[in-house]
Amino acid sequence: MNLHRYGRLLVAAVALVVAAACSSPATEAPATQATGAEKLKIALSNSFIGNQWRVEMENVFKAACAMPPYVDQVDCSVYNAGNDVSTQSRQISNLISQGVDGIVINAASTSGLNGVVQQACDRGIVVVSFDNTVDAACGLTVNTDQVKFGQQLAQFLVDQLKGQGKVIMVTGVAGTGADNDRNKGAKEVFAANPGIEVVATYSGMWDSATAQRATSGQLPSLPEIDGVWVSGGTDGVIKAFSAAKRPMPVFAGEAENGFRKYMAGILTPKVNGMSIGQPPFLSVIALELARGVIKNEHPKQSVTIPFPVVTSETLVPGETVFPDLPDSFFADFTDSGPNATVILCQEAATDGTPCPGKTLDVNFGQR
Amino acid sequence: MREFMARLRLVPAQAGLGYVVLVATAAAYLVVYTSSLGRFPTSFDYLSILNTMLPLVFVAIGQSLVVLTGGIDLSVGGIVSLCVTVTATTVTGTGLAPFGWLLVVLALGAACGAVNGMIVAVGRIAPILATLATLSIFTGLALWVLPVPGGSIPPVVRNVLSNPNVPTGLIWLGVAVGGWLVLRRTRFGMRVYAIGSDETSARAVGVPAGRVKLGVYALSGLCSALAAIFYVSTTTAGDANAGAPFILTSIASVVVGGVAFTGGRGSALGAVAGAVALTLVIDVLFFAGIDPLYQSLFQGLFLVVAVLLGTAATFLTRRRRATP
Repeated sequence: MNLHRYGRLLVAAVALVVAAACSSPATEAPATQATGAEKLKIALSNSFIGNQWRVEMENVFKAACAMPPYVDQVDCSVYNAGNDVSTQSRQISNLISQGVDGIVINAASTSGLNGVVQQACDRGIVVVSFDNTVDAACGLTVNTDQVKFGQQLAQFLVDQLKGQGKVIMVTGVAGTGADNDRNKGAKEVFAANPGIEVVATYSGMWDSATAQRATSGQLPSLPEIDGVWVSGGTDGVIKAFSAAKRPMPVFAGEAENGFRKYMAGILTPKVNGMSIGQPPFLSVIALELARGVIKNEHPKQSVTIPFPVVTSETLVPGETVFPDLPDSFFADFTDSGPNATVILCQEAATDGTPCPGKTLDVNFGQR
Repeated sequence: MREFMARLRLVPAQAGLGYVVLVATAAAYLVVYTSSLGRFPTSFDYLSILNTMLPLVFVAIGQSLVVLTGGIDLSVGGIVSLCVTVTATTVTGTGLAPFGWLLVVLALGAACGAVNGMIVAVGRIAPILATLATLSIFTGLALWVLPVPGGSIPPVVRNVLSNPNVPTGLIWLGVAVGGWLVLRRTRFGMRVYAIGSDETSARAVGVPAGRVKLGVYALSGLCSALAAIFYVSTTTAGDANAGAPFILTSIASVVVGGVAFTGGRGSALGAVAGAVALTLVIDVLFFAGIDPLYQSLFQGLFLVVAVLLGTAATFLTRRRRATP
């Protein structure tokens, strides 16, 4: 028994000796790091990587880091926290220890990182949060206006239907800020147009399969529908209309590649619609804001970017709709048009590889 | 001498597992930190580790008490969430006033735990079912108190509990460890082990199993409330979903800490060691430069290896006992 206890002590002692032995050669490390010291160190701290949107968001970040001007100016790193606040908090503390210049955050909790973000700010680190942003007053944010999302899609329906018709609303995940804001924006516009009658409102949970099931269940009890407003899962709603052999109404929905395939006529039936989405390239905008603020090229101000918008008329295969990518892909990983916020290629979103021969130009926009 | 040897045998090799894992993880942390940054961790690192791990340490202590009786407490997530939201919304003022409110929060946590204890002890419902049900109730109440993340904490509380510049957290860690050392030598502490080892025999010799269980679940609730207070103090705000991650991590801490799920064997100190080790694993993976996609894979592997070590240790002790 005693031997066993000594054995345990021995294990501890060996572990410590190993620790000491390994740490001595490591002290030479700063010499090698010093050569790349002129590059800025910017890290992406992401709360979790459990869905298509987050994967694209990280991929375009990695791609941007491998493209000029970032490839010459910035050393990027990426961390995921498994949607756990204390893990993300530890990671940000470690980034502070590493002495990074900027931290770009998609937060696990809007309030849970306040303490550590404040500590980062106190040490002169530029903190930019996006999508699910951080409350801490010292941090900058990059985001879109979700109320406008609802308004813009609803206004499109009103214009297409010339102010007269029956519409349905397919909402998102209840209790989230984005869902509340999107619904609020849409209801404002519909309420201001008395010719528009909202005949049904139900949740599609921002998921194509759920939206399809819910719509199939609702359709038999509904009159002829002229317009559909969808917060997410648009291609599922279209499939439900198609399966029920209903005439195709006007669709206003998210940026799923599947929805855009229907809009472009790549999938049949072709539908008339408008597609807007929360762009995965928010991570790239946040990277650019962090870089610009550190280099004193941008004022230290938060940024609200316009949504990437396409309609059935403006869709271009290969630019805003991608015939060879799956339906669930978010086709708004790149903006389009002359005033585009940022233009990225397909490889950037699918593999995180740089777009060949391209210099990234981020336009914070005066639109 | 015979008696001494017999007492030693009561301390299973498994209980040492937590410390071995902790030492190995701490060593790994020092190695990857120094090789990645070329210097030893600074006071900032130690302090931020201390402040981040405190909530988990408290939940793990509470969870280990429950597991020692052969039960499990899934509702820790709900109690932490509820107490986080109450702390972030009600604890205000200057001077001593906020500390009065903190006592109210602690009482709330203990009361929530006592509800679990009542259901388990009086209602004779399996702990996993009882606490799964109350988990939803407490989480729902937390959402009702604070529907969107927010709230605040007076700076005076932060300075006393988890000061970002002075290791005040060490005091509270010491208080928790000291509390456990005292508790396990009390009659209550002995009874916890007795019930966990063999509830029927314990009842037969007159241990009031129901009352002890009620006390254990109430203590677990109190620990969750403490965790909540330190959570709000560290993050400076509340979130109704704050508690959810603690369910799995507290159980993992208990497992790594060598507390037997059959009850009656192990120590809260092992669970503390397990909680610290689990916190350090995050940092080890960070500085080792593990691809983020595979981080949860490595965290899982760490757990499996730790548990296998524990099983192997128990197996070896049994064999040694079998050959006198």
